[in-house]
Amino acid sequence: MAVGTPAAGGRARRPPPSAGSVLDRDRRKLYIPFLVPALLLYLAFVIAPSVAALWISFHRWDGVSDMEWHGLGNYVALLSDTVFHTALVNTLVILVVAGGAIFVVSFAITMLIREMRGRKFVRSVLFFPHIVSAIVLSIVWGFLFQYNGVVNAILGALFGTGPIPWLDDANLFPMILLGTVWLSTGLYVTIILAGVDRIPAYFYEDALLAGANAFQRLRHVTLPLSWDVITVAATFWTISSLKIFEFIYAFGGTTADLPPPAVWNSALFVYGESFGGRSPSYLFGYASASAMLMLALFSVLVVVLRRVLRRDPVEF
Amino acid sequence: MPAGRRPARPGRAVGTALVWALVLFNLAIFAFLLIASFRTTAEIFDRPWGLPTTLHLENWVRAWTESGFARATLNTVALALAGAVTATVVSAPAAYALSRVRTRSAGPLSVFFVLGLGIPAHVTVIPLFAMMADIGLVNSLFGLYVLYSATHVPFTVFLLTGFFRSLPADVEEAAALDGATAWRSFWQIMLPLARSGILTVLILNIISIWNETLLGLVFLQSAENYTLSLALLNFMASMQFSGADYGSLFAGVCILVIPMVVLYVWFGRRLVEGITMGSGK
Repeated sequence: MAVGTPAAGGRARRPPPSAGSVLDRDRRKLYIPFLVPALLLYLAFVIAPSVAALWISFHRWDGVSDMEWHGLGNYVALLSDTVFHTALVNTLVILVVAGGAIFVVSFAITMLIREMRGRKFVRSVLFFPHIVSAIVLSIVWGFLFQYNGVVNAILGALFGTGPIPWLDDANLFPMILLGTVWLSTGLYVTIILAGVDRIPAYFYEDALLAGANAFQRLRHVTLPLSWDVITVAATFWTISSLKIFEFIYAFGGTTADLPPPAVWNSALFVYGESFGGRSPSYLFGYASASAMLMLALFSVLVVVLRRVLRRDPVEF
Repeated sequence: MPAGRRPARPGRAVGTALVWALVLFNLAIFAFLLIASFRTTAEIFDRPWGLPTTLHLENWVRAWTESGFARATLNTVALALAGAVTATVVSAPAAYALSRVRTRSAGPLSVFFVLGLGIPAHVTVIPLFAMMADIGLVNSLFGLYVLYSATHVPFTVFLLTGFFRSLPADVEEAAALDGATAWRSFWQIMLPLARSGILTVLILNIISIWNETLLGLVFLQSAENYTLSLALLNFMASMQFSGADYGSLFAGVCILVIPMVVLYVWFGRRLVEGITMGSGK
């Protein structure tokens, strides 16, 4: 993202007193009034609550009675809470395992459909789950893989295997991972395809003339020239994976309660320890502490990721 | 060798077949949802791939009237439209200011807005609840509207700032030579030029609010305030008492999904361009 680029219209030499500077001066008068509404909403409903969450994390609070100072007590308790450990591990597993799978699959699909006829149609259909509510996708996924559901019926008809308990407690999280890969692939195919599309064909022609095979073309042409887009996509996934909530939540489905803690991620942990479930715990301080920890962790991860992925920009 | 053509290889053929299988899978799922909404639960489990023998419209009626989907649709439409419009109306001038005005604070402020993209809703939901409770805006559609508008500002500013930066500057400067003020320049020149970007971000925001669930779960308690996501979750939960009614469940699902399908079919290319535009910066 080109932050800090001079606004369009900048010139190398000092412009004569012309429309340019008159317009600039005029615009400057608008700067504050144009910014203030957005800035106010943003500060009031995003920034201030984030700071407040940090403050709350140092207290015991149920939202109704007074806040009780607890120092680092919540954080210490989190460190020995096995439910939190599970949520933390699950969140990281989603980030790395599902993320890795998404990238491999998306990249493969991108390379495959680049020259396909009907590629726009393929891309549209693959992208579609991204705009459907994750609850619906979760219902569909759960429905398909039920014990007496469609997938088992098809497997039974094709291979004669007995029904597989796809969604019992031991298998639920891997199925959630698989479902996340399914519903995310379309978005990343779209993003990566846009980046790969920009590579001019003559690079590939040159590579072919030099005798490069498909894998070498991937390594020396495609990857370096689409690196920007890959970095953006990786950053976006890191941020998005922390926000995953609805898909997992809806697996609680017909129980009118949360899904089992074994499949909780960070968002579910916060919800589960505060407002969630049939008998909410309202542990606001505790939940806020967990949210702060995960936010800090993921901020570090994003910074590290961008540093690791940084390359010299390639102009073409 | 002609540009872009490579000899077909078995690996590529297998890969292509797999891709089409995935496409077929996605299409089949949604065809299934629509068809299943017209069948009874028993039918669905007996012959998953069959067509309905009779069109069980009572599934739809049940979802619409008894399970509150009618009211929920109204709520969700209102919230999505109002929230998306407000977020855009507030963010477009800000994005213009950040992209066009050359001050030292423009760059850092842009980054400041982008930071909001990285703050998940579950970090802010507890303090937001406390704050809204103090002003009495919990269990209120208006309160949720305010929240939706505000939480969509970072993304809208981000997308529109990049978009405005990509628009040519000469048109405005030509107008300035003719004596147009910056204010008029914004309304009469910039906004029409930016129409497509603004429309794209509007639709992206509508979709995001339509599908939003966490804030809805926390802030809406009465059934008449439920959004479609909550109505659907509620219906699923009630199935454990009134028995599995997958036909009506899928009818409810269709009510939730079909408007998005319509939006997608109509504006799909625009949406894809909008997302890739944001990611290309």
